[in-house]
Formats: sequence, structure tokens, C-alpha cells
Amino acid sequence: MAEAAILRNAVEATERIARGGRNLLAGIFVAIALAFAVFAGMTGDTFFFRLATEALIFAGLALSVDLLLGYTGLLSLGQALFFGFGAYVSGLVLKNVAPSFWAAIGITLAATLLVGTIAGIISIRARGVYFALITFGLAQVAFKVVFNTREIGGSDGIIGIPQIRAEFGLFSVDTQSPAGFFLLTLAFMMLLYAGCAYLVQTPAGRLLVAIRTNESRVPFLGYSPWRAKLFAFVAAAVVAALSGSLYPMLRGLVSPELLAFQISGNAVIMVVIGGVGTLAGAFYGSAILTMLKSVIGTFTEYHLIVIGALFMLSVIFFPKGLAGYALPRLERWVARRRGRA
Amino acid sequence: MSAALLEVEGLAISFGALRAVSDLSFTAARGGITSVIGPNGAGKSTLFNLVSGALRPQQGRVRFAGADVTGWSTHKLLRAGLSRSFQITNLFFDLSVFENLRLASQVLEPMGRALLPVARSTAARDRAEELLGQFGLAEKATELAGHLSHGEQRRLEIAVSLACRPKMLLLDEPTQGMSHGDTQSTAAMIKGLAGDLTILLIEHDIDVVMNLSDHVVVMHQGAKLAEGTPAEVRGNAEVQKAYFGENPGGETPGGEAH
Repeated sequence: MAEAAILRNAVEATERIARGGRNLLAGIFVAIALAFAVFAGMTGDTFFFRLATEALIFAGLALSVDLLLGYTGLLSLGQALFFGFGAYVSGLVLKNVAPSFWAAIGITLAATLLVGTIAGIISIRARGVYFALITFGLAQVAFKVVFNTREIGGSDGIIGIPQIRAEFGLFSVDTQSPAGFFLLTLAFMMLLYAGCAYLVQTPAGRLLVAIRTNESRVPFLGYSPWRAKLFAFVAAAVVAALSGSLYPMLRGLVSPELLAFQISGNAVIMVVIGGVGTLAGAFYGSAILTMLKSVIGTFTEYHLIVIGALFMLSVIFFPKGLAGYALPRLERWVARRRGRA
Repeated sequence: MSAALLEVEGLAISFGALRAVSDLSFTAARGGITSVIGPNGAGKSTLFNLVSGALRPQQGRVRFAGADVTGWSTHKLLRAGLSRSFQITNLFFDLSVFENLRLASQVLEPMGRALLPVARSTAARDRAEELLGQFGLAEKATELAGHLSHGEQRRLEIAVSLACRPKMLLLDEPTQGMSHGDTQSTAAMIKGLAGDLTILLIEHDIDVVMNLSDHVVVMHQGAKLAEGTPAEVRGNAEVQKAYFGENPGGETPGGEAH
């Protein structure tokens, strides 16, 4: 019996340390974001607040890519489809239905469950590179449809989406306030992160990892990989769309480019830079990519070339991404601290 | 309740012009060890794929535990109590030994726990711990399955397929690539599993087959050549010719090469 207790302790300690490392990584990101908010708030800056808020919103999209790629092993090259979908639904609700934060979020969520399920059933029929191509194709079709549909603004998109006050009972946040909306977005994205981090620690989430590792064995565990993948696909679609639903609140407009391949591709780059299969890496990846674009963009209009070169270098020298590099170190630190306690 | 847990009747499948399995019928008695033997390419693995739902038969029926399960999907069959192991080790190599077993035991949990923290899945955890002990893998619990030795991986392969507490286990060459000593201990372990568990075994090591089996089905070119007790099969002239070669007495070197 003593042996069994030692065994259980060893297994649980390993899992606690892994969880501790991940929480720490997310915590450090929040600390950096809050430090940035204090600094930017003191200098009265608006531009960088807005840029950082946008980085957070795109981090949510990257988070959804990581849920598929890093956990389920599905590379989506069309995740912008759901991001753009969420942005359009939210924008249309805010402009035409009710200028309410909760209405925009709620209707986006409901609509995405439906659209995500349909798109999922189409996409997960294929594996590997064919899955990537189908998601790419679906997003391109959606992009063209939105681009050519005059009722939702066609190539101009929707402009003049009203600024709103997001009501939270005790307090409310004006989306026009750079600091207020930054903090709201940070909290919102951390909720999405917490939801994903929770999900991957449930039996259902662990099953997704089993699919990534060896899909062929999963039916012999008593589960349909098809159902599990559809579940992951819809969950990722919801995360992407909810992230997108904040976009019109930030910019007051949506455009077809939100569904374009560049958005999908950037999200994959963010995940790779940040660290595939780490969830928190998506936030670091998005912050780094946004920062690089902004900083290098002030020096040269060929900033994409520089970023492309940096991306290649990071893949060569940090194949596991920033979080993949940092996590083992953080875990060792957590283990040492636990050892002393 | 009939004495047979598994009944295969007129099973057939072709891949193009190749008749991989043709008009195959046999039964596996509850609690016993039924072995399927035959030279490479006889259709043994295809038979396993048909019975375990990985392939759908073009003709014939499969009955399991009294129900017609022909064409059932693999995951549904597993939940009905039919599990299998693989000839080529088929594990979650990037995951720990414990996690392999926990995943395989997850099916014992009520559905309501699927979206609760994994720590709440105590039935799966307890089953995984039990198997770690039973298969001598406790010390390797936190290691990646991919880092185990070949013999350990073969043990884990069987442990994973047993995790769901199946009624019936299809074992596809469990001693594949094992040393003589490991083969002996694995054979003893399989013998110990029978009784509560019904076993259908594919095995190349003819000594293991003869020692373990209650019933032997001999396949040749997709069809059944003979069946009976080990002694009956050994004495069968046709089997001698097709399987044991022109070597009376049935002495073949154990652990046939692949």
C-alpha cells in the first residue's frame, strides 16, 4: 500500500508541477500587461493602448489555433473565418440590434455553435494537410462571400459601429476608454485562456491530446475520434469568434480582411513563436508579433521581410517557441520551491 | 446464454482480387483461449480487424455476447466489452505510462465526469494504478511510453487493452520480438487472464499456442484449414503440410522472423 501511495504522489506531483509552470507563465503575462497599462496610463498614451488591446484580441485567435494544433493536432489555416464571423456578428448586433456588450457576446456565441458545427463536420472529414487545405478553402470562400455581399458592406465592411458601455452590474466599462477597454479585453482573454486551460485538464481534453499523439488507437479506448475532433473544432471556433466579437468594440468597424488568410496565417505564426501546445504561448506570440510589426514598421515599409526572416530564425533556434523554452525552466523553479516548502 | 462469447459466421472480405478472408466460421468459448494460427499472409490480422470493427466485412456476421455486432464501429464494440492489442506496439508514445493507462481506463468513468477536472476521475486513476502494479510498470509511471524498452512497451500494450475491463480480448502476437524468458512470462500471464476473460490469440510461437490454447483455428490463404484442440490440430495431415511444412512432428523454430 505504501508503494501505491508513493506512486500516486509521484504522478500527482508531476502534474502539479506542470500546472504550476503553466499558471506561472500566464501570470507573468498578466503582470507584464498590467505593468504596461500603468506605464501607458501615466503617459496618457492612446495609440499603444489600442495596439496592445488589438494584440490581446488576436492572441485569443491564436489561442484557438493552439487548442486545435497543440492539443488535437489539427492545423487550421482558416481560423480567421471564425474570428471574422464573430467580428461581423458582433458588429451587426451592436449597430442594428442593440448596443449591448452582452447581446453581442451572447448572439456571437450562439451563432458560432451552429456555424462551427457545420464547418467542423466539413473539415474534420480530412486529416493532416487535407484538413489544413479545407479550413483554408472554407475561409477563402467566406472571405469572398463577405467581400461581395453589399448588404453587409461588401469590400468596405461595416463602419460606424457605435461605442458602448459594457455593463457589469457594479461597474461598467466604456469601450472608448483606452485603459478601460484594454483591461476589459485582458480580463476577457484570460477567461478564455482559463477556459481552455481547464478544458485540456479534463478527461475530454486529455482525449484530444491522445488524438494528437496517436489517433489510430483512440477508437480502441472506446471513443470516436470524429466526435472528439468535432468537439475541439467547435470549442476553438467559439474561442476565435468570441475574440473577434471584441474587435468592432475596439475599432468601431469591421472589414472583410478580418477573414483573410493573412489573419489566419499570422495566428499560426503567433502560436509557433509563442510555443505550440502551451496555450499561454499564444499571448506571448501575439505580443511579440504585434510589437515587431509596429517597431520595424516605423523603420522600413518592408517590415514583413524582416519579420519573415525573424520567424525563420526563431523556428530554427527556438523550435518549441518562447513558452516551450521557458516552461521547463519555470517547472524546475516550481519543483524547487515545492521541494523547499 | 450460449457457451460461445464470439461467433464468426461466413466472414469474408477481399481487397481487389485478393481474398484476404473467405467464408470463415468459428466460435470462441467463454472464458477460454482460442488461438488463430497460420503462415504470414493467411489473413489472421485481417480477421482481427474485421472482428474489432476496424474493417467492415463484405459477407458474413459477427455475434458477440449474444448480439449481432456486424459492422459496429470500434469504439462501440469496445464499450460492449471487446478490446484488442496490437502486433505493432500502438501506444501514446509522447505521453507518460500512467497517462496511457489512465486514458485507456477513462471509459470506466460515468459520462458526467468528462468535463470535470481529471483528478475527479478516480475510477480511471485507480484502474491505472492497479495495472501499473499488475504489469510491473509502477517505477516507470511518469516516464514517456516512448522511452520504455521493447519488452516494457509490449507489456504496456496489453495493459492498455485490458484497462477497460473487457469481456473479450483479441491479442495480436503479444510476444512479438520478445526474448525467450519474456515470452515464457507473457504466456503465463495470458494464461492467468483467461477465465474471467475470453481470449482470442494470434501467435507465431507454436509452443506458446500449443501450451495455452483450448481451441485452435488454422488459417491458410484466408480460409479455415482446420480447427480443434491443440492435439487434434497438430495431428491433422493438411495442417502439417500447409503450416508446419513437410516436417513431421510440427517442430518449427519459435519466434518466427518477420
